[in-house]
Amino acid sequence: MTIEKVILGYVTHEENYGDKTEIIQQGSKGDWAFVILEGEVKVKKKTPKGWLTVDTLRQGDIFGEMALITKGECLRTASVFANGPVKVGVLDTDRVIKDYESISPQMRTLLRALVTRLKDSTDQLATLVSKIAG
Amino acid sequence: MEPNMVAQIQIKNALPPIARLHYKSGDLIIKQGDYGLSIYKVIKGKVRIFRESGGKEVSLATLGPGEVIGEMSFFNRSLEPRSASARALTDVELEAWHPARLAREYDQMPPIIKLIADKMLSRLIKTNTLIGKLGAKLEESRAQNRLGAEPKGSGRRFYRKQVDLDCTYRPLDAPPKVRYPGKIKDISLAGIGMEVNSISRSNTMHDLGELLYVSTVLPNNKEVDFIVKIVDIRKGRLPGRLFLGMAYVDVSEDSRKKLGFFMMP
Repeated sequence: MTIEKVILGYVTHEENYGDKTEIIQQGSKGDWAFVILEGEVKVKKKTPKGWLTVDTLRQGDIFGEMALITKGECLRTASVFANGPVKVGVLDTDRVIKDYESISPQMRTLLRALVTRLKDSTDQLATLVSKIAG
Repeated sequence: MEPNMVAQIQIKNALPPIARLHYKSGDLIIKQGDYGLSIYKVIKGKVRIFRESGGKEVSLATLGPGEVIGEMSFFNRSLEPRSASARALTDVELEAWHPARLAREYDQMPPIIKLIADKMLSRLIKTNTLIGKLGAKLEESRAQNRLGAEPKGSGRRFYRKQVDLDCTYRPLDAPPKVRYPGKIKDISLAGIGMEVNSISRSNTMHDLGELLYVSTVLPNNKEVDFIVKIVDIRKGRLPGRLFLGMAYVDVSEDSRKKLGFFMMP
């Protein structure tokens, strides 16, 4: 997968993480988002049955954007771990938020709905997986 | 005022609602599989969002005032049918939004926002598809607990009737309009043996453990349908044919009765 040029324009700096490093911690606060420049990450949720992988993201994928769009009001909904060495770009929060605020309230409602729906679905997936695993 | 300033202000102001809609408790608002672009904001009441997978309703969310419905088809530009159904849980009042104007705004919004929205959307679709599949799997293991041990390898315990019945089948998570032809070769109270084409079909469909929805008409003209799980795969007698040994996972009360009657010696 290639990285969209438009994202690269928003990268303020790059960060490198070693295998299994926790890049985002579930339940923590933060409104910045990342784009994967090289490597792969696992999105995991903490459940009573341990960590469950809900998604694997690769080059060009964005993560942390849910907290960004809700302006850090919601806590990180999942943890993100490096799966092998990973290079990520940190997106310029202020510029993305400024762009976000230039759209209409209705469109913002739609995007927030998308965030909520994705969060709910991910929670539900984790519950289902833990039920089947148990 | 410059013309582009006017446009800016128009976009910033909330777009006017085009209609207020009222639904009674239990009414279906959106049907999964239909094509539609309208977006609704819940003003009053509660709405259940669910996915139909293999005839089962898998709940995805319950929405209340302030939340929106139908944003998925909007983001998809209706290239894909509605990915979930919506039903009124109480008496519901909705505000319908203007999809064309929002679509125009979507195209014009900053590319980074559009990109983030697109990425979230594809992840949501992926997650919902998985939920549908896993939900059906969970139901399957529950059904199996009810039925007791798997019948594989214990076929002789069951009276097996040789037949030659045309049937149609589809993978459980395929849309209902998908139909492949098959031939049921034997029926027992534990499951069926079915011969299918092995070529020109996706192989994943014929994997052990895969769930299929099968529908047929018995020789006594009774229509039956059930969900079965592939427990055995063998080569058919003819080239390009597969013989699938399958155990019932879910049989409706009605189909159960018809099968029982048919199986009487």
